Order: sequence, then structure tokens, then C-alpha cells
Amino acid sequence: MLLCDFHIHTKYSDGSVELKKVIDIFGQSGFDVIAITDHVVNGDSVIGKVAYKFRFTITEKNFDEYMENIKYESERALNKYGMLVIPGVEISKNYLSSEKSAHILILDIKKYISPSESYESIFLEARKQDALIIACHPHHMKGEIRNTLYLWRNREKYSKYIDAWEIANRDDVFNVVSLKRYPYIANSDFHKPRHLYSWKTLLNCEKDIFSVKKCIKHNKGVAITLFRG
Amino acid sequence: MFLWIAVFLVVVGLSVYVAQIIALRRKLNETYSSDFLPPVSIIKPLKALDDNLFDNLESFCNQDYPEYEVILSLQDYNDPAYRVAEKIRNKYPHMVKIVIDNSSIALNPKVKNMISSYYASRYEYFLISDSNVMVDKDYLRKTVSAMTPDVGLVTNLITGVGEKSVGATLENLQLNSFIILGVSFLDKFLRMPCSIGKSMLMRKRDFEEIGGWSAVKNVLAEDYIIGKLMHESGKRVVLCNYMVKNVNEYWTMGRFFNRHTRWAKIRWKIAGPKYFTEPLSNPLFLSLAIPAIDGFSSLSLSFLSILTGLKIAMDIYIGRLLKTPLGLSSILIPVKDLFVGLIWFIPFFNCKINWRDNLYTIGKNTVITPYEGNSSLRFIYNKLKSAITG
Repeated sequence: MLLCDFHIHTKYSDGSVELKKVIDIFGQSGFDVIAITDHVVNGDSVIGKVAYKFRFTITEKNFDEYMENIKYESERALNKYGMLVIPGVEISKNYLSSEKSAHILILDIKKYISPSESYESIFLEARKQDALIIACHPHHMKGEIRNTLYLWRNREKYSKYIDAWEIANRDDVFNVVSLKRYPYIANSDFHKPRHLYSWKTLLNCEKDIFSVKKCIKHNKGVAITLFRG
Repeated sequence: MFLWIAVFLVVVGLSVYVAQIIALRRKLNETYSSDFLPPVSIIKPLKALDDNLFDNLESFCNQDYPEYEVILSLQDYNDPAYRVAEKIRNKYPHMVKIVIDNSSIALNPKVKNMISSYYASRYEYFLISDSNVMVDKDYLRKTVSAMTPDVGLVTNLITGVGEKSVGATLENLQLNSFIILGVSFLDKFLRMPCSIGKSMLMRKRDFEEIGGWSAVKNVLAEDYIIGKLMHESGKRVVLCNYMVKNVNEYWTMGRFFNRHTRWAKIRWKIAGPKYFTEPLSNPLFLSLAIPAIDGFSSLSLSFLSILTGLKIAMDIYIGRLLKTPLGLSSILIPVKDLFVGLIWFIPFFNCKINWRDNLYTIGKNTVITPYEGNSSLRFIYNKLKSAITG
């Protein structure tokens, strides 16, 4: 089984660790597949504007540099640790209301996707790029003032676009995802080194991007595990 | 009167500290001339994830040495270190062997972990090396060069590197001052055998003669006991000046306190009354007695400030000797010395040890027994239980 984490932030957005060091932290710990998914925040809300002000977001301007660096680091990770690194982003539509907010992981992204577009446009653009769409922390999280509930509240409308839902995020487990029998994965939402020890995904497939995406989509041979050091 | 005693103790403490620095300098200037390069089995006991584990293990697979093997020793397939061990074996299949066994009987979990690997090892010379150390390519060659026929055990100096959190910074400051100075002083001036579990090279013949694993299976400080027994058997214990790097990156404060409380308890159980001389190697902590006695007068505060500056300057100098520059972390030296001074008292009140989630009570010569909470209550409970259940 491949030990995987598909939700990881670096200093490119609001993570506390540089990309290179993040790769090393996961590589040194024996991971097989990870995805770097820094925030791409909508700029049409107060929260979004703050994120732009403090550079807690990838922008259209630095997206290419971000992808270039992930590519460089993924080659290093593969050579040194035998670890597959997938480029991704976390499209973050942040509003004051939890009911309106949603975060979406786009794994294996190729081109910049604007977070200010409608949900349908974002999903269709991701599909066009053959990327994987994951609804992250879709339900209430312990200790969070603001949740991201929009996709769950509108699941009837959007579930056809979503390849998998986060059933566990760091320390939170979302039972509702299993009750609805949606495809699932579990991630750390890594921002700090201590977040390494959290829920993870185990995949029973080959270690290449095509097989990993297929395994998540079909959701066969997927398990979750609480990773503890 | 008390004030002068305190001043005297601080001056003695400073003198001891200077003597320890001289001991370290002399230790670092030692050379070893043997060109004997026998095949060596490196045994690495693994348990959970250490900082930098992959690189630590890989550094042992890239030694500039003619013939050796690396045995990665685990007790459980579910240990997260197993995945890292597997990757290392896949990368160096001809050199690395993984041994997983949990059937050996020993209270010391590290000893329990290593017994099967020891019997699976191929060569007469074996080297025990902890998973949290990293070495350069010349480590094995230089360590083995200290192994002459009259030597039974070669161990190495350790330095702390890689700190990225406050806990790790305190840890490395302590390793790079108190610990390295202490072992150098004991070795150079007091001629006491010092063995450090992070790196111990021995011959199997010598090890079996001192009782092998049976002699250390139920003690906490197996490294110290092996060194002591080796010394008593007439073989020399050499503290090689090749420094292995203990990589500590993301330690929490709790982990720092846990390790040094454990080590303080070990030193108390080993040294006995000699443990009371230990604060002499912490002059900054001793100097706190001066304002405590004299009050916070301008004189006592000036004395304290000068001493703090002096201690920081000496530790920066040690950092230069060890080629581990302190930089901004030097401002934490007084904090670290204060914590270490307070930790020194703990062994007098508590002999419980928590080591990698195992709880023990520690006795003389670090003999351990599993900790069972309040033993008298436990005894009564067990008696009642057996009476009821027949």
C-alpha cells in the first residue's frame, strides 16, 4: 500500500515550511505519494483580500514559478526518496459565512484556474486539464470558527463533478461522507511539521500519477490510517 | 558568610567549566594511527520516526570502507520506521538487511530490539548505532582506526545539529556544551570509561566475555554498563574524537525535558554521591544563589550579568571548536542552563522513567522494573482479584 498525503501547504501560501523542506519532511518519513496544494484564494471577499495582502495565496503571476519549483522538487524527491510528488492547488473560496465557503483540491493541475470563477467553471476547467477534484474539509471541524460547508450543503448539485471527498482532515473525521458512500481520501492539511502526524490515505496501486488518480476516482483499494510517529 | 560560599562555588564552577573546555580541546587533537580495516556489522535499532531518519540511515550506507553490512532492526512491521527502512534496503539491497523480531526477552526496549539482529550479523566486529545520528563518509574508517588489540570498545563524541524549534535548540545547546564537555572531562582528566550508546564498536568475543546481552537486558543505561564491564575486564574503552551528529530538528519542550530528566535520573543512579558535584559544571545556575542571598542589589545583578556574558562567550567558543556555530540560538543559553539546573533536582523526588512510551522504575546501576503505579495499592488489588477469581 502506498502511504499518501494529498493536501499539503508550503510557504507559497500560508504554510510555515519552505517547499524543499516540506519534501524532505515527507521523504524522510517514508511517504510514497504526496501532493503540494497551496491556496489559490478568491479576491472578491474581505478574507480573500487579506490573503492577497499577506501573500497567503498563489496568484496568476507566480503560478508558473510555483509549478516550476514543484517540478524540480518532484524530480529530486523521486530520485532521492522514491516519492511521487503531484502538483496541485487548493482553490479557496472564502467568505464570512461558512455556508458560502468551500475549498477544493485540484490535483495534477497544469494551468492556473481562477478562484473567482463559478464552481461549475472551476470544475469544468479542472476536468479539461485531466486533474482530480477533491472536496476538502467539507463538514464541521473541531475548533474552527469558520467552516467550509458550501459543497456539502449543495452536494446534490456538485457531487457529479467531485472525484473524492475528504473523509478525514488532520484530526477531524467526517462521518457524513461515509454515510453518503462518496469516494473518500484522508489528508493532513499540512501547514506545520507537527501536522505530519495525522490522518492519511493508503492506496493499493502502482506509484505513478495515472494509477494514483484512477485509484482515487474508482475508490477501490483505498484505506485511511492515522499516522503517528 | 553564605554569600562568600556562593561566590566561591561559582568561581569553582567556572574553573571546572574551563577545565572541561581544555579537556575537549585535547580530545579533539587526538589522532589514531591503526590502518586495520576488518569487516564490520552495523546494527541500527529503529523505533518510530526520528527527525531526518532517511538521511541518517543513508549516511551509513555511503561509508568509504571496504567491507561492511547495515542491519536495520525493528520489532514491528507497523512501526512507521519500517517504511523508511524498506526504502533504504531497496536503494542499497546488497548492503542493507532488515530484521524484524519481537520475541527476545529484555526490559530495555533497545536491547530487546537488537538481540536478533546481533545474531543475524555476519562479522566479528559489530557497531551499535542509534537511528537519530548522521555521519560523514569517513566515520567508520576513523572509528575503526581507534580499535587496537588492547581496546574492547570504541565510542564517539556526539554533537547536536539541525535545530528548527525551541525544544530542539535547547537540546542541541545541552549536547554541545554540558554533555560533550562532561564526557571529555571524564575521559581525559578522570580516566573514567565513557561509552555513548549512539555509537559503540566492539568485538563479539569481548562482548560475550563480559556477559553479552544478558548482562544489560534489564538496565536502562546499557551503554554505560557495557563500558564499565569492558573496563573491568581489562580492555580499554576509547572515546574516539570523531563526532557523530545527533540530528534534532523539531523537538518540543516536553521532549527536551523528558530526555534530560531521564538522563539526570540515570546519572544519579550511576554516580550516587558524586552526582552532588554536577552543579559545579553549571556555573550560571549556581550564580543565581548570589541574588537569592544578597538580594537584587546592583552588585549582585552586575555579577550575574557578567557571568551570563562569560558563559555565553564560552559556549560560543565551544561551538567554534565543534564547528557548530551557535548564532542567535546563543541567547537561549541562560534559559537552557536554568532548566538544566532545575532538572538536576528531579531525581531526588522521582525514579519513574518514560522512554518511548514505556514506563519504568529505575534502581541502582539503572536496573529497571516495569512501573506499576502505586505498588502497594496494586498489590492489594491483585491479591483481592486472585482471591475472588480463585
